[in-house]
Amino acid sequence: MSPGEHIAYRSKDERDVDVEVDFVVVGSGAGGATAAVTLARGGATVALVEAGAWRDPEDYPSSAYGGMRDLMDDWGAQVTANRALWPVVQARTMGGTTVINSAICVRTPDDIFAQWVREHGLEDLRAPVLRAQDRVERELCVEEVPVAARGRSNLLAKRGGDALGFSDSHYMMRYAKGCEGSGQCIQGCRARRKQSTNLNYVPETRARGGIILSSAPVERVLLERGRAVGVTGRFVHPSTHAKGTRFVVRARRAVVVAASVTHSPVLLMRSGIKSPALGNYFRAHPGTGVFGCYDEPVDMNVGATQGWASTAFRVDPGLKLETLAIPPELVASRLSGGGTELMKRLTEYRHLAMWCHAVRAESTGTIRASFFGNPVVRYELDGADMLRFRKGMHLLARQHVAAGAKAVLPGISGMPYKLMANEVDKLAEAPLDPRRYIAILSHLFGGCVMGKDPKTSVVDASGRVHGVPGLVVADASVIPTNLGVNPQHTIMGLAATFAERLLDAPRAVV
Amino acid sequence: MRSAIVILYPRTPELPGAEDCDLDAFLAQYRRETTTLIWTGVVFGALVFHLTPILTVKIPWPAFGLSAKHADEHAHKIASTDLYLVRQLIFLVKLVAGLAWGQHPEVRRRMALPPLPADPGTWKTS
Repeated sequence: MSPGEHIAYRSKDERDVDVEVDFVVVGSGAGGATAAVTLARGGATVALVEAGAWRDPEDYPSSAYGGMRDLMDDWGAQVTANRALWPVVQARTMGGTTVINSAICVRTPDDIFAQWVREHGLEDLRAPVLRAQDRVERELCVEEVPVAARGRSNLLAKRGGDALGFSDSHYMMRYAKGCEGSGQCIQGCRARRKQSTNLNYVPETRARGGIILSSAPVERVLLERGRAVGVTGRFVHPSTHAKGTRFVVRARRAVVVAASVTHSPVLLMRSGIKSPALGNYFRAHPGTGVFGCYDEPVDMNVGATQGWASTAFRVDPGLKLETLAIPPELVASRLSGGGTELMKRLTEYRHLAMWCHAVRAESTGTIRASFFGNPVVRYELDGADMLRFRKGMHLLARQHVAAGAKAVLPGISGMPYKLMANEVDKLAEAPLDPRRYIAILSHLFGGCVMGKDPKTSVVDASGRVHGVPGLVVADASVIPTNLGVNPQHTIMGLAATFAERLLDAPRAVV
Repeated sequence: MRSAIVILYPRTPELPGAEDCDLDAFLAQYRRETTTLIWTGVVFGALVFHLTPILTVKIPWPAFGLSAKHADEHAHKIASTDLYLVRQLIFLVKLVAGLAWGQHPEVRRRMALPPLPADPGTWKTS
């Protein structure tokens, strides 16, 4: 089979692009790329349409500035539209968020499948999803962070977790082959160790005859007599953002939307899809970091960006603990204060280790389209979730102390900048106002949730949009509950399952 | 904006300040490349920084006109203020300035980190 074409940005002066395939997949991240390669392996003709540019590791930026400019959606500047303005971070590049995350691989927990059956009537997902996850782990070379790449921050976290007797304290399993510990996960792994989908599933889709469109944000799903028959949009220049020529990709069998938790619901809204659940049940893992200050240099940017984790508190109170190294560019703004006091604080940089939590929050929010058509996320933690949030910070602080930290920097407005080792229990009484914290929403779920009932869900257990033949959603927006673990593996398992079901189904059933 | 950033990240004996980190070139690049909305937010943040010494050091004078001592005191207090929206705006200025400051080779050398290669700004076209 001859490789398919890669159609990059085309200016207004060039001819419109008009393509017809069996399936068009919108988005090339964990969901889109997995769906596309599964369909291509099944012998279907596929077009993969990505809003961002296609960058290989030699094109990746080195600086945090370049990462925001070249890889993030909207420069990483999207924030929740509530009292607390918390960033909602997603990528906009070939490979999606798999390019800028830490490649953490965690299987979908069994209790999640049980919850999906019990609360959402989602039968028959466990076996195919786990089978797909088996395959993905082999193909993307999932392995534990190698000893040489662990770095001091991850070693200290293990020491602290073990000292406190965490029932689970482990070096992460990641989609990374022979990690060198360059500490550059967030800017994309220039060493080609991280197995983001732009390096494997997207090229394989193309090698199997698939057509790849990059810098091609989809504006609408095309509907004919109520059936999804393709997508359309305009190319956008990756650097000048100038609008290019129009593209139309027609799909003989189905349109698979995997444009991300924020963009998929809005794309469906723009396309005229009606569902009472569309844009609802948005959930996330809000989280923040606690710095520990150590006598010896930690040099957190040496070693895997994220190498240690604990799921010991996933069920009660509902937290995941992880290490996270951030570069000096971001530490500079993350530390509070300004002027000479800030510079004094920055002299401690080499002695800081940052560990963070991801809260398995029960609060829900919404995603809507703004007047300009971009997604607006409304989401705020309720009191119970803020208690979890605070408890996680307290745990991290205690873990730092158990690992030998002389002090911690909680980063909470209204609390002391630094808490000495014997003061960390003050965090148990920290304020519960979300505006006091510098937090981030890293893992997102919902907006096009799965379920049996069209009144409370957008898609069924195969990702098919209720009442719209030929339209499937295959990204984290279908996940109806908060997983409490990193979602990439679940997204990939679901996307592969949905794609397999598409291949098996006659056109009339899709 | 430049003066707000220089006050927020001053030169100290231990570390270079923002003005030692090719700030003008960075700001020109940032203005050229970022979105209008983000640029407007940063400009507004710098404006708020300059107009608020009355709240922090009780002097009715913009921050760029304060003595070095008062400007430094203002920078610390306004970046830590209890007023959430003001703190967020100053955070935005700090974030942008931090991007320039933290990527500079001299800062990275002081942090025992190797210099960063230039961002290629390229993408695949075929």
